[in-house]
This record gives sequence, C-alpha cells and structure tokens, in this order.
Amino acid sequence: MDKRRYIPAFAAATVLLIAAVAIYLAQLSNTVAANVMSTVDEISRHDVETIEGALDNCYGRLESIAKRMTVYDVETIQEAQEQLNLEAASSALFNAVYLMDEEGVLYSSSYLKLSKDQHTYHELFAENKDHFVLAYDDVNGKLETTKESLIYGIRIAPIVIEGKAFTGMLGRSDLSTIRDQLLIESFDGEGISSVVNVKGYYIVNSSPATDLSGRNNFYDMLEAGHLEGGMTIEDVRRNIADGMSFSVNCVTAQGESLMLSFAPIEGTAWSFIMQVPMRIFDERFTPFVTMTVVMLVVVVVLLVGMMFIIYRSLKRTVSANAESAARAEFLSTMSHEIRTPLNGIIGLNHLMERHMDDKQAMEGYVKKLGRAATYLLSLVNDILDVSKLQAGKVELANAPFNMTAALENVCDMQREPMAERSISFITSEVHLPYPFVVGDEVRVEQVLMNILSNAVKFTPPEGTVTVSAGQALEMSGYRVRTTIRICDTGCGMSESFQEQIFDVFTQERSSTDESQKGTGLGMSISYLLAKQMGGSLSVESTLGEGSCFTVEFATPLNAAWRKAALETNGANATEGASEGNGTSGEAKAATATERTSSADAMTPDEPSDEDNGPVRLLVAEDNELNADIIESILTEEGYEVVLAADGREAVDAFKASPIGSFAAILMDAQMPVLDGFSAAQEIRALNRIDAESVRIFACTASTFEEDRKKALDAGMDDFLPKPLNVPLMLAKLKEVKPCVG
Amino acid sequence: MRGMRILLSCLIACSLAFAAIFTAGCSRTPDDTLRLTLKIPRTGHDVIFDESITQVDQVMEIMVQDFEKAYDRPVDITVQVFEQNQYDSAVADVFDTPDAPDILYGDYFNMSTYIHSGRVVPLDDVVTPQVRQSVFDCLWDMSTIQGHVYMMPYLGRQNVLAYNKELFRQAGLSRFIKDGIQSWTLEEWEQVLDTLAKNLPTGSFPMMMYARSSQGDTHIMTLLRACGSDFFSEDGHFALSTPEGVAALRWIQEGVDRGWFPPHAENLEIEDCSSLFRSGQLAIYMVNNASIGRYEDTIGLVNFPDGEGEGCATTFISGFEVFDNGDPEKVQVAKDFLAHVYNSEELMAYAAGMLPASQAAAEQYGDDILLFDEFLENRKNVVDFTGSNPDTRAIREIFHKRMYDLLIGHTTPEETARLLDEECNQAIDEGVASSTLHE
Repeated sequence: MDKRRYIPAFAAATVLLIAAVAIYLAQLSNTVAANVMSTVDEISRHDVETIEGALDNCYGRLESIAKRMTVYDVETIQEAQEQLNLEAASSALFNAVYLMDEEGVLYSSSYLKLSKDQHTYHELFAENKDHFVLAYDDVNGKLETTKESLIYGIRIAPIVIEGKAFTGMLGRSDLSTIRDQLLIESFDGEGISSVVNVKGYYIVNSSPATDLSGRNNFYDMLEAGHLEGGMTIEDVRRNIADGMSFSVNCVTAQGESLMLSFAPIEGTAWSFIMQVPMRIFDERFTPFVTMTVVMLVVVVVLLVGMMFIIYRSLKRTVSANAESAARAEFLSTMSHEIRTPLNGIIGLNHLMERHMDDKQAMEGYVKKLGRAATYLLSLVNDILDVSKLQAGKVELANAPFNMTAALENVCDMQREPMAERSISFITSEVHLPYPFVVGDEVRVEQVLMNILSNAVKFTPPEGTVTVSAGQALEMSGYRVRTTIRICDTGCGMSESFQEQIFDVFTQERSSTDESQKGTGLGMSISYLLAKQMGGSLSVESTLGEGSCFTVEFATPLNAAWRKAALETNGANATEGASEGNGTSGEAKAATATERTSSADAMTPDEPSDEDNGPVRLLVAEDNELNADIIESILTEEGYEVVLAADGREAVDAFKASPIGSFAAILMDAQMPVLDGFSAAQEIRALNRIDAESVRIFACTASTFEEDRKKALDAGMDDFLPKPLNVPLMLAKLKEVKPCVG
Repeated sequence: MRGMRILLSCLIACSLAFAAIFTAGCSRTPDDTLRLTLKIPRTGHDVIFDESITQVDQVMEIMVQDFEKAYDRPVDITVQVFEQNQYDSAVADVFDTPDAPDILYGDYFNMSTYIHSGRVVPLDDVVTPQVRQSVFDCLWDMSTIQGHVYMMPYLGRQNVLAYNKELFRQAGLSRFIKDGIQSWTLEEWEQVLDTLAKNLPTGSFPMMMYARSSQGDTHIMTLLRACGSDFFSEDGHFALSTPEGVAALRWIQEGVDRGWFPPHAENLEIEDCSSLFRSGQLAIYMVNNASIGRYEDTIGLVNFPDGEGEGCATTFISGFEVFDNGDPEKVQVAKDFLAHVYNSEELMAYAAGMLPASQAAAEQYGDDILLFDEFLENRKNVVDFTGSNPDTRAIREIFHKRMYDLLIGHTTPEETARLLDEECNQAIDEGVASSTLHE
C-alpha cells in the first residue's frame, strides 16, 4: 500500500524527466542546426572572402602587367602584343591578355584584333567601373577560346602606342586555372561550394565543364528538383540578381535534400552557393543525441546510485541510532527493573537481621522477600524470553497436547487469586471441539497465563474476568484455529497505550498499585510467541471499563484426532474430545471461590499412604544450599531424600540402593565430576530392573527447549526448571508411584 | 522483459527482411533491365539531312533509342558526354567502378591507348562480311591490330591546310589560288611563305604555328614531313633523326626568323591560330572537310608539304570501342548495339556531313557533302600520323614541349630530332611493353 503511494510520484517524475529530455533534445537539435548553419555561414563568408581576395589578386596582376607595359620599349602595337604574349606565357593565371584602346578596339596577346563592333567588353567600363569580372560568354564577343573562362577587366592609365591611347586591359583565365583556388570543400567533402552568375552558369563548380557548350546551369538543377518552404526558382533568380544573402532547402531530382546558402560576391554579379546535404545536419546531431542520452543515463544512474547509497547510509545510521537508543533504554530499564527487587531483597535482609527475634515481623519480611524473589525470577525469565524471541531463536516444541487441559490448567492457577479478591470468573463460553492439537503446550500456557494474570491483576475486587474460547477447522482439515478471548472489567487502557502495549517494558503509567506491578515484558512475550506460533494477539480496551484480549493459535490437529474428526465429520469428534479429556466441554459458570476446591485438587497432597513407607527420592545437586532447601521441602512433604553431591555420587547411590527403592531422581544438569545428563545415561544403562523405570527429573536453570530436549535424549523423563516451582514439583512427584521394595 | 526481447527480435527480423529485399532490389531492377553506359567526348557534328543535329552525342541518342526499341530484351544505354580533354577522368580513371564506360565513341588517336590496356574487346564477330564490305577498306587498317578489329570506324575527317584567298591576293599570291586541294613543292611553299611574310599587313601572319599545348600537335607533326621524312620507321617508331627529318625541323626553325609564323608562336595554341585565321589575320591554317563549310569561298585548300610535291593529309577516324568490365552480358549487348548500328544504313548515314565510313552513305550523300569528291580523291595522300603506336597520348605530351624548345631556339634541329626520337620511342616501347590485348 505504501509502495502504491509512490506510483503517482514516480509516474509524474518519469513524465517530467521525459518532457525535460524531449525539450532538451529539441533545444539541442535547434542548437546543433544553428551551429551547422553558423558553420555554413562562416564557411560561406570565408569562401566569399577567398574569392574576393582571389579576384582582387587577379586585378592586381593585371595592373602589374599594365605597369610593366609602360616601361617596355614598344613602339608599335604589334610589339605591344608581343609583350602581352610573353606576359601571358609567363603568367600562371592568364591564358591571354588584351589591351583595349579608347575606341574599344581589342588587341590580344595572341595577336587577335577585335574591332569595337566585334565585342562589347568596352561597354563594361561604361559605368565608370574600375574593374569587372565575368564568366566568358561569346555573347560579349568571341575570343580565342571555347573553354569556360573568366574575363577580368581593369581600367588603366592611358598607354599611348602609335598614337592610340590604351585605357583598358583584359585578362582571360581558364576556369580550371582558378577553380582549385576557389573551390573549398567542407563537412568532410559533403559540403560543396560553387559560384554562379546571374544566368545561373557556374563560375566555380565541383564538376566543371571545360567547354562553353557543355557548361552546366544551376537553375537546371533546381528545375529538375523542387524547392521547399514556399520559395520559387524565380525568387532565387531575383535574390541572386539583387545580390541578396539567403538560404533555401531543395530536393534534387535524385531525391537528395539539400540546404543551399547564398551570399553575394562584392564587385561581381555572382552569388556564392554553399550546398550542404540535409543529412549532414542529422549526422552532426546524432552524436550529440547519443552522447547526451548516454550522459543522461549515466548521470541518472549515478544519482540514483548515490541516493541509494545515501539512503542506505542514513537508514543504517538511523537504525543504528535507534538500536543504540533502544539498547540503552533497554539496559536502563533492565537495570531499574532488576535493581528494584534486589533493593527490596537487600532491604528486607537488613530488616530481617535486625528483627530476628520478632517472629511476626519476620513472617512479613519473609513473605515480602518471597514476592521480591519471585518477581526477580519472572523478570529474568521474561528478559531471556524476549531476547530469544526478538532474535528469532526460540524453538517451539512440536508435541501433542490438550488445548482444553492447557486452558483449564491456566484457569485453575488463577482461581485462587481471583477468589481472594472476589473476582467473578466466567468460563461458560469455552467450546473447544478439537482439543488435541500439536504444538508447544508450555508456550501456549505461558501466553494464556500472561493475559489471564494481567486480567486478574488489573481487575478490581468484585470485578469480572471472562474467558471464552472457540475453534474452527481449517479447510484442509489438518489445522485448527483456536481463538481465546480473555476479558476483564478492570481499569482498561488508553488508546495511546493500546498502540504500544505489545512493546517491550511498557506499562500504563497511571498504574501505581504495587499489586499491579509487572516486568512490562509479559505482553511483548505473549505477542511475539503468538506470532511465532502462527497466531496473533490483539486487544480492545476502554479506559475505565476494561480490556478484552484475543489470542489465536493456529495449530495442526493431532493425527489420531484428525482422523477421528474427519471420520465423524467433526460433531462426534467433539464428544470424543470431551470424553478423552475427561473434562466437561460444556459451559461452566462458577465463581473462583466456588472452584477453589477444584483448584486445590491441583496442589500436591501428602504422599500417598497406599505405600507402606515414605517415597524415597534421590536428589543430585552440587549446590549445598539448594540441596538443603530441596531436602527440607521434600522432607516436610513426607518424602525420604537421599542427597548426592554430583552425578557420580548419584549413579553410585542408585547402584548401591536396593532395586526399586528410589521412586524418582531429581537430577541437576550441571554438576562437577559427572553432569546430570551423563549420570542419567549411566543410570539408564545399569543392568538392573529399575534402571529403566525409575523416573528421572531434570532440574536445571537452563530452561530452553533445547535443554529440555537434551534432558529427554539423555533418558530423563521430565523437566523441572530452576528455580523450582515447588507446587509444580510436588504435583509431578505425587504422580510418582512408590516402588515396591 | 521477455516481451521486450520478443519485440526486439521481431524488429531485427523485419529489418533484415527489408534489408534483404532492398539489397535484392539494388542488384537487379524489377523489370530486369540491363543498363549500359556509352561515353562520348563533346564534339560538334553536322548531318546533311538533319540540321537539328549539332553535336555527335545527339546521333548517339538516336542510335541508342533505335536499338533499345528493336532489341529483344530491355536495355537502357545511357549516353554520357565528357569534355575533349577529360579522356582520362572519363575512361581510364573509372575502370572497375560503376561509372566505367561499356561503349566509347571518340577519335582513334585518343582511343587507341585503351586497346592496349586489355579492356577493349575485339569486335570481329560484329564485323560480318556484310559489315566489312559496307565500310571503306582503308578504314579497317587503322582499326585492326594483330588481325583483330578493336575499333569500329564510323566517320572520318580529312585534315588539310587552307589559305585565306584575300590575304593571298593582298600579298600578290593570286596565282596560287586554285580550286580543289592543291599540293605545292617545298620551293613553292617557301615562296608563298616568304611572300606572305613580306607583304602581309601589320597584324597578319603567314602560317599557323603553336606549341603551348598538345592540342593540334598532329598537324605540326605532319609539317615535319615537309622535307620528305616519313616521320615513322616501318616498325612505327619516330624516325626524325634523318636528313629529311632534321631538314624539316630546320625548315620550321628558320621559318621563325623568316617571319612565317606569328611572333612567339611557341606561346600560342591551336585555338589562337584558329581565331587569327577566322578573323583574317592568318593566311594559312588547317581545316578538315567538316569545318570548311564555315569559311564558304574565302579559303582555298592545299595539302601539307611532303618534299616531293605530292603533298600529304591526315585523317581523323572516329568510331566505337567496347569495354569488358567483367559482365559478359553487357559486352554482348554492347556488341549487339554496334551490330545493330552497322547493319542499319539509316544510322550509318548520320555520318554524312563528315566523311562517312559507310560506302552506302557516301554514295547516297556524297554529292551533298562539300568537296566530298575532292577529299575522296585526296585519300591517296593521307598519311598515318599515329604510327599505330600504343600510347599516342604519351607521345603528345612530349612532342609539343620539344617543338617549344625548337621554336625559341633552345635546341637545334638535330637536337630536337634526337630528343624526339629518344623520348617518343621510349614512350612507344613502354607502351608496347605494357600492351595487353583482350582476346
């Protein structure tokens, strides 16, 4: 759901990114096109300047010849022509040079004489022009050549020969002579420059003709194709004639798209044309686009990568800070929680020392000492549970058990406290048709006990605690979902507290009643256990009215019962369950007080008198104090106790005992010389009839499942966690039949 | 992701398919038309019966259209015109490229080089007995190398000298003005030239001479026969280091000092002399039977001097060559094209205006061709100016330079003769050594 919230933002960001890239590319395209156009203009300007420079150079060369003509010692026109002949022969530029007299008669370096009516070149000086250049066209007068040529003309200071004043000089140059100077390729040879005159004939072209009859015309190319952008060929003619700079796109007859840029050449009626295929623009643009896209991708990837790294770093920092804070808070809380009962114990110890003779006071101190010790024990247990649960290291047992019995057991354990406070306890809505399930009975009872004890704790006298339960078979028929609701009419909880009730070390602060004090870990443990068992734990509460906890367990059905359930379609299974349990599944409604006798039934009785003597027990305990305590408790309960200081002594004691003399062995796990597990194995391995039958209880402070499993694997029969739950121990020992000696 | 891959695969497959179709389309046109290129230098041309024709490429277009219409499979022959001085870029430089010519029409002395490149195929199968009989016999000699015909003659232009009648009259040489094609003795030539040099008005000159470029050099070569030199030895080598050859060179060199030629003629080109002749400033210049029409009755004709008084002339033969560019199909179509032309009297008649190779055309239009009979009669004086050497163009690059040195007096006639023989014969020998004929 959270991820979906980001989809619109992501989509919007993507759209924005695409739009930005599109705009950028469009802008880039325009920029590249402008750049290419700028390059075209620059090349055009350069070429035009080159051509103008070349033309100026030609005029200059003609002027040099004219100057030399004034110093040659020529007396006749023919001698002058001979000098022109030699000038033309030595010139790399001019194929022929001409002198024009003031009447317009033309004399060439090849001795040709053209009268005024045989040509019109003299007319080109008519407008007081100092010089001109034009593409040779026999329209102006047929000269010695048929090759494509340029005719340069300059006005010169009069040279008088044979009484004739020569005022003009012409130079004729094959186009091929000057073409290489004027033709400049660009764009790796793709851009072609050319020069045309007003008629469209090429002055400079990449594929020139050499003969007038074969020369090409620029307008033929335009007419064979078509112009784009609304401009007509007539517009082009007019623009060239007017000496304008302009550009136009055209498509040739071969389908090639060209950009034509025109620029006038000063002092001529020519136009410079830069012809660039449009694909050049694309080719220039493509690398930019490719580079840009690659760069964008790289930048985006880098940004995303950097943001991811920063995010992870921040997250780690935050997480580390949070963990650190939580750890510090946990340790602080732990310290406080542990110190509190320790403080009480120390204080009580002090008081007890001072009032050793005051029996009444001592009784009170002892009771308080017991409560403090009990609280400290439960706190340690809870802390261990929470730690393991949070680390995911709690291994749940997977053994058949009776859910109804477990619930009954828990209920029974709370009946007395409820009776003491006149709390009504209602269990009439308990319907568990599939009691035989597979799971961790101890942990189930732990969860239920936590909730129920809390309910009792927070329910005021005369209040009510209601337990209801139900079960539903899952579709597969293999699993059953057990829902147990425990409601009370206690103080209830604020909404804000409900949100954190399952957090570690949380208790409603308003509570100041010492009786309500707990470790603050119970609900966390219950919540985590319920979750680990595939169930859930939730709470509904109203401040001042009470709370209602709902716990669900999803457990597999016991295989035998599943079969029975399937065969009887559930209904009969319910009866079977009730019968098998020996406990009525029907509704019960009784006050705790009324059930006190029933609850008492759970407490150990005096050793059975069915035997002739006291039940004999072997206790292996290396801690002398613990050994004394156990011995005292058991002796007071009527048992005969034999102590062993380690596992070896225990084995030896058992060996030495008459067969069947020990009804049970309480075996500490961790002992010197020989530990409890090894001792149990040795006892089981003894070759005597009671070696296999004697019940061995593991007594250990290691209470985890793996410890339990290890004990059972060593041949022990049951598990009594330390500190010892005396009533539970006595209850279990009561089941031990005294052996017949 | 998988969808994208499938889409990408489809796109690639489609692209390949399109590329394959496109490539196939490039290699062969959908209608299976075979495309050939006929190249031709830009050349003026007149046809007696069709005044609209001014260029010879127009005649080629007519031939091509007629052939394409008549041929039994679709062919497209493109006529490409190039400039006279661009044989190299139009032909040799584009061998093994798509622009290589399949058929070339041009002057023999330019085209002969390609025969020895091994790319010009023999056309013996085109020259059927009927075709051979239809063309003047003498024209086959220049087309035949080692017994195989490599060029198909289409027309000829006979080159002789022309004199300006008016200038002759002005110079007092009216007695040399006669109809027909004259032949003068060397003494007569010297008399004419000396008289012209003496009597012509300022700005007019007796005879053409030029050496600035190779253009028109064949006419100067012919002048070197003035003192009886055969110019070539029997095996086709230059043979100017003979008394007759050296005499001719001296005759020309002395002519410079005797005012026979325009001053500094070494710096002139044939076009300069042509302009002078057209403007009435040059008394003697070369013409051919195709160009005399433009002068009307202002000129008279005379053979080049030969030392014996018979005079000599040269003939430019123009015709066809077929190139093997590696596609036998194209070679066959090109041959079929020539067979089509040479078996068509109508197409062969388009040579009428020059000297047609076709006897039938000559008979049909001879009366309409100016001085046709005179030129026909003068064939007996025609000399081979090529010597059938395999690299005429290499020789031309040498010849005008040596003549330049002679005209300006840098070399003596003997030195010039020796240098011409050495350098030109080396070029000939190299041409022979590198010659490869297509079989």
